[in-house]
Amino acid sequence: MDSNKKYWKGLEELDQTTEFVELNKHEFAEPIPIEDVLTGGGLMGKTPRRDFLKALGFGVGAVSLAACQPVPVHKSMPYLIKPEEITPGVANFYVSTYEGQAILVKTREGRPIKVEGNPNDLIGKGGLSARAQASVLDLYDINRLKNPVKNNGDYGWEQLDNFIKDELTAIKAGGKNIRLITSTITSPSTLAVIADFITAFPTAKHINYDAVSYTGIIQGNQNSFGKAVLPHYSFDNADVIVSFGADFLGTWISPVEFIRQYVQTRNNKSLEAKKMSRHIHFETGLSVTGSNADARIPIKPSEEGPALISLYNAISGKTLPGDASLTNNKVAANAIALAAKELVAAKGKALVIAGSNDVATQILVNAINSLLGSYGTTIDLDNPSHQFAGNDSEFTEFVAEMNRGEVDAVFFLDANPVYDYYKSKDVVSGLKKVRLSVSFSDHNDETANICTAVAPNHHYLESWGDDNALEGYYTILQPTINPVYDTRQAEHSLLVWSGSAAKDYYTYVRNNWDQKLLTIGGLTGQKGWETLLQTGFIKAAPKAAGSYSFTYALDSVSQKILDHSKALAAASGSVEFALYQTVALRDGKRANNPWLQELPDPVSKVTWDNYANVSPSDMKKWGYEDGDAVKIEANGYSITIPVLSQPGQAQGTISLAVGYGRTISGPVGDNVGKNTFPLYSLRNGTLQTSGVATLKPTGDNWPLAQTQTHHSIEGRNSIIKEATFKEYVKNPAARSGEEEDHKDYDLFWQKYEHPTYNWVMAIDLNACTGCGACVVACSAENNVPVVGKDEVRRRREMHWIRIDRYYSFDDNGDGGKTEEHEIANLDNFDNVRVVYQPMLCQHCDHAPCETVCPVLATVHSSEGLNHMAYNRCVGTRYCANNCPYKVRRFNWFNYWNDARFENYIQNDHTVLVLNPDVVTRFRGVMEKCSMCIQRIQAGKLKAKIEKRPLKDGDVKVACQQTCPANAIVMGDANDPNSEVSKALKSDRTYYVLEELGTQPGVGYQVKVRNITETEA
Amino acid sequence: MRRLSLLFKQRSRSVLLAAVFVLFGTAAHAQGDAAKGEGIFKANCTTCHKIGTRVVGPALGPTITSETDDKWLTKWIENNQALIAAKDPKALAIYNQYNQAGMTVFGSLTDGDVANVLAYVRASWKTDPANPVNASKLPAVAPETGPGSLTIYALIAVIIIAFIIILVLNRVIGTLEKVLVKSEGILVTEAEVEAVPVDRFALIKKLAKNKKFVFFTLLVGTLALGSWTWVTMWHTNVHQGYQPEQPIHFPHDLHAGAMKIDCQYCHFGAYKSKNASIPPLNVCMNCHKTVKTESPEIHKIYDALGYDPTTQKYDSTKSHPIQWVRIHNLPDFVYFNHSQHVKVAGLKCQTCHGPVQEMKEVYQYSPLTMKWCIQCHKRTDVNMKGNAYYEKMEAVHDLIKAGKPVTEAAMGGIECGKCHY
Repeated sequence: MDSNKKYWKGLEELDQTTEFVELNKHEFAEPIPIEDVLTGGGLMGKTPRRDFLKALGFGVGAVSLAACQPVPVHKSMPYLIKPEEITPGVANFYVSTYEGQAILVKTREGRPIKVEGNPNDLIGKGGLSARAQASVLDLYDINRLKNPVKNNGDYGWEQLDNFIKDELTAIKAGGKNIRLITSTITSPSTLAVIADFITAFPTAKHINYDAVSYTGIIQGNQNSFGKAVLPHYSFDNADVIVSFGADFLGTWISPVEFIRQYVQTRNNKSLEAKKMSRHIHFETGLSVTGSNADARIPIKPSEEGPALISLYNAISGKTLPGDASLTNNKVAANAIALAAKELVAAKGKALVIAGSNDVATQILVNAINSLLGSYGTTIDLDNPSHQFAGNDSEFTEFVAEMNRGEVDAVFFLDANPVYDYYKSKDVVSGLKKVRLSVSFSDHNDETANICTAVAPNHHYLESWGDDNALEGYYTILQPTINPVYDTRQAEHSLLVWSGSAAKDYYTYVRNNWDQKLLTIGGLTGQKGWETLLQTGFIKAAPKAAGSYSFTYALDSVSQKILDHSKALAAASGSVEFALYQTVALRDGKRANNPWLQELPDPVSKVTWDNYANVSPSDMKKWGYEDGDAVKIEANGYSITIPVLSQPGQAQGTISLAVGYGRTISGPVGDNVGKNTFPLYSLRNGTLQTSGVATLKPTGDNWPLAQTQTHHSIEGRNSIIKEATFKEYVKNPAARSGEEEDHKDYDLFWQKYEHPTYNWVMAIDLNACTGCGACVVACSAENNVPVVGKDEVRRRREMHWIRIDRYYSFDDNGDGGKTEEHEIANLDNFDNVRVVYQPMLCQHCDHAPCETVCPVLATVHSSEGLNHMAYNRCVGTRYCANNCPYKVRRFNWFNYWNDARFENYIQNDHTVLVLNPDVVTRFRGVMEKCSMCIQRIQAGKLKAKIEKRPLKDGDVKVACQQTCPANAIVMGDANDPNSEVSKALKSDRTYYVLEELGTQPGVGYQVKVRNITETEA
Repeated sequence: MRRLSLLFKQRSRSVLLAAVFVLFGTAAHAQGDAAKGEGIFKANCTTCHKIGTRVVGPALGPTITSETDDKWLTKWIENNQALIAAKDPKALAIYNQYNQAGMTVFGSLTDGDVANVLAYVRASWKTDPANPVNASKLPAVAPETGPGSLTIYALIAVIIIAFIIILVLNRVIGTLEKVLVKSEGILVTEAEVEAVPVDRFALIKKLAKNKKFVFFTLLVGTLALGSWTWVTMWHTNVHQGYQPEQPIHFPHDLHAGAMKIDCQYCHFGAYKSKNASIPPLNVCMNCHKTVKTESPEIHKIYDALGYDPTTQKYDSTKSHPIQWVRIHNLPDFVYFNHSQHVKVAGLKCQTCHGPVQEMKEVYQYSPLTMKWCIQCHKRTDVNMKGNAYYEKMEAVHDLIKAGKPVTEAAMGGIECGKCHY
């Protein structure tokens, strides 16, 4: 039985809006005006013949002239003295650290070109986020500061040192306060440098300030257990996960690690063992995590508190004071009852988390977890995470101090409060009263711009350092390139200013490791240090988990939560809003990175913008269209921002992304979207992400650049296949299309032999969370151009791999019997289910693109790949028209030298990030996923040189390598023992649109959802 | 007593004998055999020393001539380490002057050998051109120039004069003929000739009327022009034979040919990388720190490195890269890997680059067209011997079983994506 369940890519497709239908008729957004030429005066007049002859004459002449050209002189400059470890043309890999995660940096001829996961890394096990993949581009950003700055004018290091030292001496003598504002620092050596600085200047204080902070959790743990830590969570140990707005697969604390853990209980291996975790998610806007949940219940921000109290009541059997009934949200009330039942049943293997930054809420969550016995199993307080240590109240106090004129010197390291603090004006006015303000920012940013001086920091790929993101996990940073600009590491600057004896920061780090850290990993001396520089990290034995009993009095907590809820409940005429971070930009610090800006949001598929997510029913009610600019007012601040109809958004609420609307970040990030940080509010000493706002239409329409609307699935039902866990247990092949009869179309197709290798891929839809890391990894590996907002709107994005997001209606697990005619009558868009599907060239054995190419530019290889010879392509675009998967991309422009595109591949500096083993493509040619053929060839060559057969795993494609969920497996199908062969043998395997007879090389595995019938 | 005198006698005899030996020996030192010394010098010293110029160690001519204490010199040459260890002030000074780089210990040389060497060095210093004494004595030797430019100009002038003479003579002959004809009265006939005007284009007009001829001419013309166009187009951007002038006149025929240096000693990338790579200058310096140090071409290397041959120090502030002109330019859209061909296939460099060992200046030997690549891939058998990589490839086995040759093409080596990505 095949599912009749209807999937849709977006509301346009569901509603079949006229615009969508019209656009969908064409493969490309703007049809070529061939008809105008044919019907108009085009061919009728007398001139065309003459023009033709002229053109012919000119053409022949031009070609003859071109033929006469002398040999173009290419200069070749060898090294004067070649560094011993470099062989031109061979990549070197160095271990380093990105945000606490051990990584490998691939360098060619001394310049880093790609960041890859360290396979032994404890956080990602080789997986990396989109942000980490994109970080290498920042290194070559031409908008980085190229020298120190004082009063917005260029300055020298020596002068700056003298100036700052003099100022600090004077300030020390005056005895006034010195403040060091940093985003959370996890590096032990940096912390030691700061400690030294404080010793040198006793009035100095170090304040951690995170734009998006976790103070609520840390304070909550302090109050509950006397341990002010951010716990380490283990999603892989949890059978039942209940999350209240914690987007742990997208942005919450350590998403790469959590994705890896989360899929442990949902991937093929786990399913084959008939084991699958259950994930229930309560949230306001549809997040990546919510879209992956087995059951997702939209709630308003004001309902979160009562929901948690109800859950506590249901689990404990007690009743906390106050009315916590969810009278307006029956679905949520039922879901809470169900969640409580399941959590209790899974006691000891359960986990409840909340994304809220409210201390009271987190205390209540701790109480629930304590009841469920989560401490020591799914939550570890003894080996905590150090990833966030920001303290909201300390920073608020600092802003007050500045305004009182008590601070004489302030240093900002990786902190930009003028942009991301909710009361930006207070920071600006305060800074005016500060005698010496110094920023270490490597870019000119909103804060650096009004500081006395900027001492630009190195990019992390130019730095020495270390990191300690998780308790007992120490990683090392080593530079992989000489500083590109005249910058200096912030730690070095601090050492100089505090008059330290250390020669440079390298010596300091080295001493710190020699004296304290190396021994933790059982290493000593020079040899130990060298080992560390090869392995990248050391790991201490984990501390034994203590037992924690929760004794905090909950009555006042409950009251605080309910008060908060009441304050959030919107009166008529206003809406509740929730702020969230996007997977790509997070807090907006790296807004100047074009790879991140062009990465479509996993859920909305919008690029280059933020917007207000509105529920489709509210859109109808309020009379908005997609892209209508509305004025949003809250907390005395107003912004005008386009709205987007987002299924799954709780009714009566809007969601807004932070991290946009930078004004001083560089040409890429400036004025992209609107700044929503001022919508934050301070409550009980912590920053809150929700509130009440009023909406007013402005009458303008600002179209959004969405990638999701670019194709339609034409009502086909063999693209996404989905089963419930119950069905799967009964029959592992459920809904994979096994039972269907497939017609063979082998009539006129040549049968391809794969005598040597047969490169295929398996993608597990149940593991893919849609995070988008593969998209950026692919761009970095294959020199994929960035096209910008306008071009995306014209459907000209160039990504070789995209993650399709399909919606379907919640069918309550009854087998998807929502028929098409029923959908038209449904108006409840709250309960949508989402399936993500990475879509790339399927390397079909019977590829439709190959047969229509008039110049044989795309042909089949004996290794099962669909080759694309760019230099042969003449740009007919027939192949793209004929591709049922819509994965071919056309170069509409010379992105590498067209002045209309401020493209990273044409800038003198960022061009250094290009992979020299892959060409950049010319205008007028088609391109598409090559299955990283450069890696396949390199893998084969390595095996040949080493005189051994190619092993499974020798070749890893870029998307596979970076995937934190291991959802993508690529390999040789001719080898029956290869990982991919085994994966494809899974009963869940199906091929997209296999009824067309294209015989794709990429197999997908049916999405399985753990839905129970008892669910409301 | 007797015993004592006997003892004295014996002793005195040996002492005497020793004294005679010593005297003789010293005399021999002073008169050391320069001819013998030359052989010893060339066998042992030239790695680090020259007579007139400083190499690794000091220039020996002036040093040894100015140092008259031969005993000390002998000690130094035979075992300089011992002198340094004994903290001999002179030895220490030299040791420190040369960055504490110790000289090789020549324990195998006898005192006589050393004397011979010293004699040779002193003798040859006397005639060495670097010796300032000689420089003042000898007149500057004119550099050898081969056929001078003066000779060439003279030759050209002679040829031009010869031409002028021929022209003048012709003129004279013409005038004389006219005079002769006039005097004989033959000029009368001229009028007749003018009366019957000859149609000079008659033949062409006649031929133009011949359709067969016109057709033939047009056909030949079209074919000629067509094939010329074809060949020109076909060879557009094919630069076979391209031989640009390089910033340093590096003779491959000398290095790879006469000296038989392995190609990959310098082009080390060829067996492990996609680039064969132009050698960095430190590879040149492996030899040219001591070989041909006086050559102006070698000095281009020194300049580029900021290397001072007299002090043997590198100054990176003066260094600048050498801009070689690339000869083999594959288009950007082709991926070519040297190691695949050199290391795996075991091809000789000459297969594609031609007889480099005979080239004074390198030129592009092969056309580097796709046709040329593919032809080779179709014709050449894959070198699989002893490479376990090919063991697992069924296709290869099938072909071998069937007795067919295994070419690169048979293994998919001419598919687009193998080189174009």
